[in-house]
Amino acid sequence: MNKSLIMIIVAGALINNVVLNQFLGICSFLGVSKQMKASISLGGAVIFVITIASAVASLLYDFILKPLGMEFMKTIIFILVIAALVQIVEMFLKKKSPAVYKSLGIYLPLITTNCAVLGVALTNVQNGYNFIECVLSGFGTAVGYTIAIVLLAGIRSRINEKDIPAPLRGAPIVMIAAALMSIAFMGFGGLSF
Amino acid sequence: MDAGMMNLSSAPHVRDKWTTPFIMRVVFLSLMPATIVGCVVYGWHAAAIVAVSIVAAVLSEWLFNKIAHKPSTIWDGSAVVTGLLLALSLSPSLPLYIPIIGSVFAIVVAKCCFGGLGKNFINPALAGRCFLLISFGRIMNTFAVDGISSATPTANLAAGKAVNLTSMFLGTSNAVIGSSILALLVGGLVLWSMDIIHGQICFSVLGGFTLFIALFGGQGFDPTYLAAQLCGGGVVMGAFFMATDYVTSPVSRLGQFIYGCTIGVLGGLFRLYGSAADSFSYSVIIGNLLTPLIDTYIVEKPFAYRKNALRGLDPDSRKPRYKRIPKPVIALTVIAAIAGVALSGVYSMTKDTIEAQKEAAKLESYKVVAARADSFRAIEKAEEMISGSHENGVYGSGFGRVKINAVYEAVDEAGNPIGTVMSITSSDGFDGDVTIALGLDADGKVTGIAFTELHETPGMGMRADEESFKGQFGGQDSVLTLVKGEAKNDGEIAAITGASITSTAVTNAVSAGIHFYQNVIKGAN
Amino acid sequence: MKKCLERLYNGLLKENPVLVLMLGMCPALAVSTRALNGIGMGLSTLAVLVLSNLIISCLRKVIPDQVRLPAYIVIVASLVTVTQMIIEAYLPSLYDALGLYIPLIVVNCIILGRAEAYANKNKPLPSVMDGIGMGLGFTAALTIAGALRELLGNGTIFGAQVMPEAYEPMVIFIQPPGAFLIFALIIAVMNAIGIKTRQRQLVESGCDGNCALCATACESKNPEEQKKGGAEK
Repeated sequence: MNKSLIMIIVAGALINNVVLNQFLGICSFLGVSKQMKASISLGGAVIFVITIASAVASLLYDFILKPLGMEFMKTIIFILVIAALVQIVEMFLKKKSPAVYKSLGIYLPLITTNCAVLGVALTNVQNGYNFIECVLSGFGTAVGYTIAIVLLAGIRSRINEKDIPAPLRGAPIVMIAAALMSIAFMGFGGLSF
Repeated sequence: MDAGMMNLSSAPHVRDKWTTPFIMRVVFLSLMPATIVGCVVYGWHAAAIVAVSIVAAVLSEWLFNKIAHKPSTIWDGSAVVTGLLLALSLSPSLPLYIPIIGSVFAIVVAKCCFGGLGKNFINPALAGRCFLLISFGRIMNTFAVDGISSATPTANLAAGKAVNLTSMFLGTSNAVIGSSILALLVGGLVLWSMDIIHGQICFSVLGGFTLFIALFGGQGFDPTYLAAQLCGGGVVMGAFFMATDYVTSPVSRLGQFIYGCTIGVLGGLFRLYGSAADSFSYSVIIGNLLTPLIDTYIVEKPFAYRKNALRGLDPDSRKPRYKRIPKPVIALTVIAAIAGVALSGVYSMTKDTIEAQKEAAKLESYKVVAARADSFRAIEKAEEMISGSHENGVYGSGFGRVKINAVYEAVDEAGNPIGTVMSITSSDGFDGDVTIALGLDADGKVTGIAFTELHETPGMGMRADEESFKGQFGGQDSVLTLVKGEAKNDGEIAAITGASITSTAVTNAVSAGIHFYQNVIKGAN
Repeated sequence: MKKCLERLYNGLLKENPVLVLMLGMCPALAVSTRALNGIGMGLSTLAVLVLSNLIISCLRKVIPDQVRLPAYIVIVASLVTVTQMIIEAYLPSLYDALGLYIPLIVVNCIILGRAEAYANKNKPLPSVMDGIGMGLGFTAALTIAGALRELLGNGTIFGAQVMPEAYEPMVIFIQPPGAFLIFALIIAVMNAIGIKTRQRQLVESGCDGNCALCATACESKNPEEQKKGGAEK
């Protein structure tokens, strides 16, 4: 595989981590990371949705919006595509894999409002990626999201609220943990092959 | 709760007769050789850094416990060890507020906020060090001996220069305070023989690192090169004293091995392909992030997951498909259509203003770079020259994804040409496109650059807009090379520390402009 | 009138969207690198929020229940695109600063959350006040965080040098880790001062990240639940 394509995946996942660096997908990152199993399931669903959404958005943009000069409609079109995709994934999972569907519960529709999905589609447009690059960028980003949320879930499983000073309990300590994770991930900055 | 009594929590795992204070004392003593060598070699200031760091650590822990109404834990010695470890990883020439800030962050944020010893998930000393690296990048990278700063051996190695292996081993080279490999090994091996640290961790870290460097470093298994890589950049210190911290490393033997190898490999990866020579600290704390996962999955059995266990139990899936198509789709389509019409309206209203805005901004920047010009006129066949020289929307080769947008002749009041201005975009910026206006005088020398589009990171890439960087381009008239550190020769541009991507994008854009001028515009005349 | 004032107090303090309800963290963390950005983003979001609340409240009896979420999204997306175009045309420096985060107002949980929780159940005027209150709360949170980050990371506030010349800026505060740290600090301070409200307790114990569920919970009419939540301290 072309080196620059690998770089797109690595950059999306680690160097410009979508959560710890670009601050997309924070709401579910902070909320869902309470439970490890939910985090893994959400991560998997996100990878699926973002990769396909990036592909579809890329096609729509290049073959419909740009030729018609309607680039300004991209936000609406993208978000509708994402909403539709999530619906499809939901219906698909309900029929083919009810156990996974049950374990994901309310997190699945949540992906629609996950800033990361829309953010990736818009960034792809901004970077002028072609179709393959869009798909890989989406995939890399989603993998990065999954890595971040799973790591945070692991860390949170170790945090015992009773040990934390009272004002820090709940959101603040999770954000401090995220800050430390973000510091660690800055080690990937500037990495290039 | 007396820290000297038996500890019933899950981590750290304290052996029967050995209490936390005892272990901390042994670790402290094992670091003494390196500390003493460091202070002797680097002088009083180094000793001051060590002292200040330890005191700050102990004081902040004491103060935090007091404010949080918790029992005082400073007597377990862990704050002292954290302070010492942090100091040993710092350059001996830092101003004293740096170790203070680092220690306070390490103790308060990385450790106390989570509940104190045994409850943190990240190595406090390294968290503090990385905090300092990000906050004070330039200062942290200054290593001065007798007031003259020069590169560390590791930085030299990365640049391909020769290093003095003996001086690195003894600790007399230009590096951090705790850089005497000999002294560190003495302490580390003592700890290992007393079974206070696990061999699985330190040796798999060293092994993983060495293997990666051997495979990808370009010099194969050359022992001198490998030794030089190992002796620099905090690898030995990290392997023996940081990665092995009980609290932040996995419990199981297999887990420790995986953890150690990961740290070693990451260390090698960052050393060879990263932008900073000083990145081993990051490898260890990334390893720390993995510890909870390793402990969850390596010790216990994986989840027993039976596929399709609940298939057929969901009543909804048995409804025929056509009954599930919602009628309100019509309502949704109507709303979407109205929205589309409204948007087109606003778009057509604002489109011209937006275009005019962009043109005005470009004109502004042209004026900046060609101050004496009265107006700008189109060059004959400019459009053809531009499109002819671009392939797939990119100009030339070796300038990255760069595009010449427009080129004009700058003329004075009398209509005489006094130079050229160009608008150039590089898509290789860190955060999107970087667009510059480049001005050239009648001899093809750069008069200046101005940014019409720059969305880089504030404090780093955005500093390209400062005179100290922009000003370097004045007077240049050939394709430029970017260098780290200082630009000594003509045609060299010093990159912004920590913003190599932005610096490269800007330099490439300027080079492309100069190249275009020399080959396409002048060539046509 | 009293209800309107109550909406303002609610949005600013009691149920501050960012600091209490934990909605809209994405743009809050990303954009608050300096105080001016905080105000810019906050006011843009306020504009969209007020308009969206107004429109959705007016249409609340018309939009079918099953497609209300996609319908809200289309309405909000259109408003955001309009806002984006207006900012790009008339306030280009703000547009440069906020960049990608303007279109992301669409998925700002605050807007959808308030639509779901308040606007589709209440008359237009209170909905507008709710939008103003929440928008002001959002702006306040972002501006304070932005000011702190700018102060520590650059030595300035609103571009004016405040720290002494000798102060070496701690660049980390302008970067991602700094964002997390500053917000953790602000929320911790609010906790400590005791502005901890029933909402945050519900958020921590129950919502598990579902924004829509989050915002609806605070309007719960169940007295039992209200009492239970308030009894913690």
